[in-house]
Amino acid sequence: MTSEFVFATAQYESGDWDSAPLLPANIIDTIARYTEIPVAPTGVVVSLSDDRMLRYPLLYLTGHLPVRFSDAERRNVRRFVDRGGMLFVDDHNHDIDGTFHKTATEEIARTIAPLAELPNDHALYSAFFKFDGPPTTSHELNGWGDNLVHKHLLAVQRAGRIAVLFSNKDYSSEWNYHPESKRFLTVDNTRFAVNLVVYALTA
Amino acid sequence: MRSRRSTFELACRLAAFALLGWLLGDSLIPSRSRRMERASTGAIGSRLAAWTRMPPTVRLHADLATTPDAWVVDWLTALSHSGHAVTWSGAPPAVAMSSEPLADPNGATRIDLAAPARTLVVLRDSASVVDSVRVDHLGATVVTPIVVGPVVGSASGQRFAADASGAARFRAVVVIGDASWEGKFVVSTLEERGWPVIAQFHVAPNVDVGQGVVLPLDTSRVAAVIAVDTTIELLGGALARFVHSGGGLILAGRSSLAPAMRLLSPGVLGARTHPSVLPADTIGLGSTGFYPVASLAADGVALASLPGGLAVAARRIGAGRVMQVGFDDSWRWRMAGATGSETAYRDWWARAVAAVAYLPVASPLHSSAESAPLVHLIDRLGAPRPTAPDVASRSIDPRLLLALIMIFLSAEWASRRLRGLR
Repeated sequence: MTSEFVFATAQYESGDWDSAPLLPANIIDTIARYTEIPVAPTGVVVSLSDDRMLRYPLLYLTGHLPVRFSDAERRNVRRFVDRGGMLFVDDHNHDIDGTFHKTATEEIARTIAPLAELPNDHALYSAFFKFDGPPTTSHELNGWGDNLVHKHLLAVQRAGRIAVLFSNKDYSSEWNYHPESKRFLTVDNTRFAVNLVVYALTA
Repeated sequence: MRSRRSTFELACRLAAFALLGWLLGDSLIPSRSRRMERASTGAIGSRLAAWTRMPPTVRLHADLATTPDAWVVDWLTALSHSGHAVTWSGAPPAVAMSSEPLADPNGATRIDLAAPARTLVVLRDSASVVDSVRVDHLGATVVTPIVVGPVVGSASGQRFAADASGAARFRAVVVIGDASWEGKFVVSTLEERGWPVIAQFHVAPNVDVGQGVVLPLDTSRVAAVIAVDTTIELLGGALARFVHSGGGLILAGRSSLAPAMRLLSPGVLGARTHPSVLPADTIGLGSTGFYPVASLAADGVALASLPGGLAVAARRIGAGRVMQVGFDDSWRWRMAGATGSETAYRDWWARAVAAVAYLPVASPLHSSAESAPLVHLIDRLGAPRPTAPDVASRSIDPRLLLALIMIFLSAEWASRRLRGLR
């Protein structure tokens, strides 16, 4: 087993869990680019119904379709959070009235606890780069979804730490490109991912 | 020339007067060998007042099956100092007990016992029975979460006690290393346990994140330091001074490979073990590999071994303690272990920190006479001195002497009265 940080994408039965296939490699590139955190060169996909999901304390979950955990998935997600894992859920629809948002938030409330707004001065936003809140994505106002700029992320916190982080920002679209394309950006739009990983590893 | 009759009469008179003189002398010149008071364990408490009123020439002896209460020993000591010859004999059980608060915010107390092998010791506090333990070899240790008042032990009819009422004042624990799951979960679990934690994790060149300020490193604010990896090298000499002054240090994973830690480490690390872990395997502590202690320092103590080598070792340095823990991914045990592994992981790290952490006690603990009663008894009255049973009965009963006098005088009188009889 490696001691490196491994970016893990959660696979669940009910929806399109693999809707952002380029995102893991891009985030791994970002982590390696800005930090000295040992990071595995490739990510992994772990099924939420498999106990091996407990070997990856930071899990990324996304999709467009309804999220409905099976009993095994629900049991494992509950154990994952109880033991100190952090689940990052991103709404690929960036639509608070959309099917993913409604079902995923309901499923999180049912499995763990209801989500609440995360204050924009939370330690997450200063874990590495400084942000005044969740960075806006170019996709939020692209005419799809709810066409809103979402001012806050949502979270379930346990003992002062984020256990579940829920985003309607559509980082799954924003970060879903080949790492080589970063050179075309004036400002790297994946920097917030560094905060996510550093926060998960240190908070 | 005296006749045989007159010689007999003279002998009877002389014997009667000799016995009378013995009695008179005995009453005027008391003999030490003839005046001894004895009492057993159960009766000695009630005899002390009477013994105190006796002249100093009376010898006092206690036959002890168990060690009497400390106040009895103190009273006997006072009698000894006032001129009485005080001795004791018997074989009370050699028991001793100490208790002290553990360096654990949960408030646990450790009770250490010494007693003869196979002795059953029952421990009580002011509230109820705490525990019972059968002593293996010569000692036993009991850790109990709550103690109300002094702890009282009883074994083989012997009562002994220890006070654990000293309130502990907890300093912070420093966790230092690279940003990693190991460091993160050590911090989490110690905070869950109630420890104040200062953390410093290296993320990027010139970028460390965490909470609190590590330096200055001294026992006025820090109880222990946990090094997750070789980042600890940064603290160098400050850490050595901290340990020498009483601070605790846990060198986890490969942290003791840092050059500055070589003089502090209980041993030298070997190559990391890499046991094969199948996807379906349940993960336990060390089951995914660890850094074994390949060679132990002369004053190092082995604490835990696993297949693959020595996993945990410790040593004392100055007033401090250093523990070497070979595990570098113990977090896997918490996250992916069997049911209850999260609690077991927390308990394991809490025990590790408690074993090394600097813990000043608000009211200093002192060993009382009751914590080691036999030691106290010997300290005050000396070693046991068996007294020959005939010593006390060496003085002859005066009634027997009177009877002998009467016999001699009667014989002499009868001889004279029968002198003319043919």
